[in-house]
Amino acid sequence: MPRIKLEGVSKSFGKITALEQVNFEMQDGEYITILGPSGCGKTTLIKIVAGIWTPTEGRVLVDNKDITNTPMEERDLGYVFQNIILFPHMNVKDNAGYSPRVKGLSEKQIEERSSSAMELVGVLEQQGYLPNELSGGAQQKASLARAIASKARLLLLDEPLSALDARVRVELRYALRRLVKDLNLTAIHVTHDQDEAMSVADRVVIMRKGKIVEIGEPTQLYNQPRTLFTANFVGQSNFLEGTVQLVENGNAAVELRGERFLKVANTGFSIGDPVVLAVRPEHLTLSPEERPNTLRSKIEESRFMGPYTRYRLRAETGDELLVDLPTTEAKVADGSSASVHFNPDFILSYTRPSQGLTEALRLE
Amino acid sequence: MEGLRKSFPGVVALDGIDLNVREGEYVVILGPTGAGKTTLLKTIAGLARQDSGHIYFDQQRVDTLMPFQRSVAYLPQNYSLFAHLTVWENVAFGPTVQDWSPRRRDQIVREMLNLVHLSDRRNSLPRELSGGMQQRVALARALATQARILLLDEPLRALDARLRLELRQELRTLAKYLGITTLHVTHDQEEAISVADRIVIIRKGKVVQAGSPKEVYEDPSTPFVSNFIGEANFLQGLLSRVEDGFSVIMLSDGRHVMGRPTNVPVNSQVVLGVKTDFCNVYHGKVEGQNSLTGTVVRSLFTGKRTTLEIQTGQGLLKAKVPSDQSLSEGSEATLRFQPENGIVYAIPNEGLQVALEVE
Repeated sequence: MPRIKLEGVSKSFGKITALEQVNFEMQDGEYITILGPSGCGKTTLIKIVAGIWTPTEGRVLVDNKDITNTPMEERDLGYVFQNIILFPHMNVKDNAGYSPRVKGLSEKQIEERSSSAMELVGVLEQQGYLPNELSGGAQQKASLARAIASKARLLLLDEPLSALDARVRVELRYALRRLVKDLNLTAIHVTHDQDEAMSVADRVVIMRKGKIVEIGEPTQLYNQPRTLFTANFVGQSNFLEGTVQLVENGNAAVELRGERFLKVANTGFSIGDPVVLAVRPEHLTLSPEERPNTLRSKIEESRFMGPYTRYRLRAETGDELLVDLPTTEAKVADGSSASVHFNPDFILSYTRPSQGLTEALRLE
Repeated sequence: MEGLRKSFPGVVALDGIDLNVREGEYVVILGPTGAGKTTLLKTIAGLARQDSGHIYFDQQRVDTLMPFQRSVAYLPQNYSLFAHLTVWENVAFGPTVQDWSPRRRDQIVREMLNLVHLSDRRNSLPRELSGGMQQRVALARALATQARILLLDEPLRALDARLRLELRQELRTLAKYLGITTLHVTHDQEEAISVADRIVIIRKGKVVQAGSPKEVYEDPSTPFVSNFIGEANFLQGLLSRVEDGFSVIMLSDGRHVMGRPTNVPVNSQVVLGVKTDFCNVYHGKVEGQNSLTGTVVRSLFTGKRTTLEIQTGQGLLKAKVPSDQSLSEGSEATLRFQPENGIVYAIPNEGLQVALEVE
């Protein structure tokens, strides 16, 4: 039912521009995450959709109806905050039944709605507890029960997992996605955590400095990020600066520092173009001997990371490289030299940014 | 630390903590909220007093020493910088209070700011800095006292997830460069694995297991650790025999799975824990040892790896596989694991579900 459209939305607070010309549209039943570093405008955006703030410019449309100036209480939505806000003197059940009660439903309907919401999020057994008698995770589940008991079809989640322990976050994000899909809700979920954003969403909106950087499905953003910022922010990447020296059948030879060359597949660049190459740590391999498309490197550190072992190397070009090998295959010792092999198909290439690479990647 | 105990009304925060930390070691105290982690740090810093037990630095008891006599730099979770002082003045605070000579003070402040890459922001006020920079200033201020022990309470909690990845590396590098003995408290197991020489897992005021990241990951001593460091699947059944050095477990549907050898006697009820990282997934039905077939009900992509949830006759099982080996939702799939990755535990007295609770 709810299709949401933002048209040229901008928001300023005094001299500070929090949002600048944001346009995007989402479909009914879609789960969108808005991902970006602190201060990127993501919270401002969700608060505008909620009606907590009014945009300085632009329009918010739900099912083609302009709701830009509709107050929050008249918008049909459920909202879950980062800092868990439950009524402290009400038990879980009464918190869950709050919205049906305010709407003046009968006791029987209140009972039905709150019980069904508590059951769906898994807090039925704790229905008699007060919020301060519950763990953080259970409190956030209760907030979620309260939000869905309103029967709103649009669920707004403002950093819903940030206040919780890492391990609890992982469990709850599975639960969130399941809930949204099973109830066929439309959800906007704001987060700074790229793993969380990718694992729950149908599409991810990447924001930075008040603007949308790109929008895409999780696999597209990870495998084919359109910008250097995304390549670094969503997962980690290695970056190498160079210049295209040769182009043949869509393959390019890129000269790096130290007069070293790498072959890159499928690049649209021309001879002489200054580029930045990006490669994921898990797409690099180490080989004892030199092969085509390798850089001689020295292993500065290796670190057990569970399923994979991370190597930090210094390449002959002077660049630092991170290489992730499955732990079962990781057998090279610190201090030794190795050749880092680049598969031409897994190298992404970008125009070298005019503001400098560091600035293009900056996280805050 | 020897037999440290500390209770608050209605809560036992520390329930007999014994722990040796070597000089220059980077130890991470890992556990869920409420495990007693912060109380432990405060007790070491001298900001809380244990009910019983002792703390020694180099064989010397420090229980009776005041916090400032302990040579400990403590960075609390909710640190605050002096808002009206510059970065330089904030870092110079400790040395100034300790009445060091201006020359020694300036030298150490310069060195600390250099180490945390903030030399060019020395004249900024805290509010002019980003969250990550403020955290670095707080760290430099704590270290400028030239303490021998660094205590970090959830030092990265307030920062963005992506930024944490960078800063946790810096923390370890810095501690190792200074050779300072570090205790770092966190609830984040990835953070723990990536920075620690040794991880001490605590729960309900007790040490559950202590060991290198590899040890606690590959040889978890309890189902809780197995599931807390990474994520694990659990299969309950009857330990029916030992064969070729492996435990053979009969599941509720009469089928058998094999796991590592165990001390638990044959014919007992046991639980086999296997990390989701060590589960492979194949398309369709695959017969053979340690195979569980079902339907993929959810696929959760996280970049490098994808978590598949598979509904099987033994309940919902998960496998974290490289994303290029992922299967689509609805497809038939077989989850398999090597017997050497299945760890066999006695059924916990409190029940498996309670034994695994993470909060």
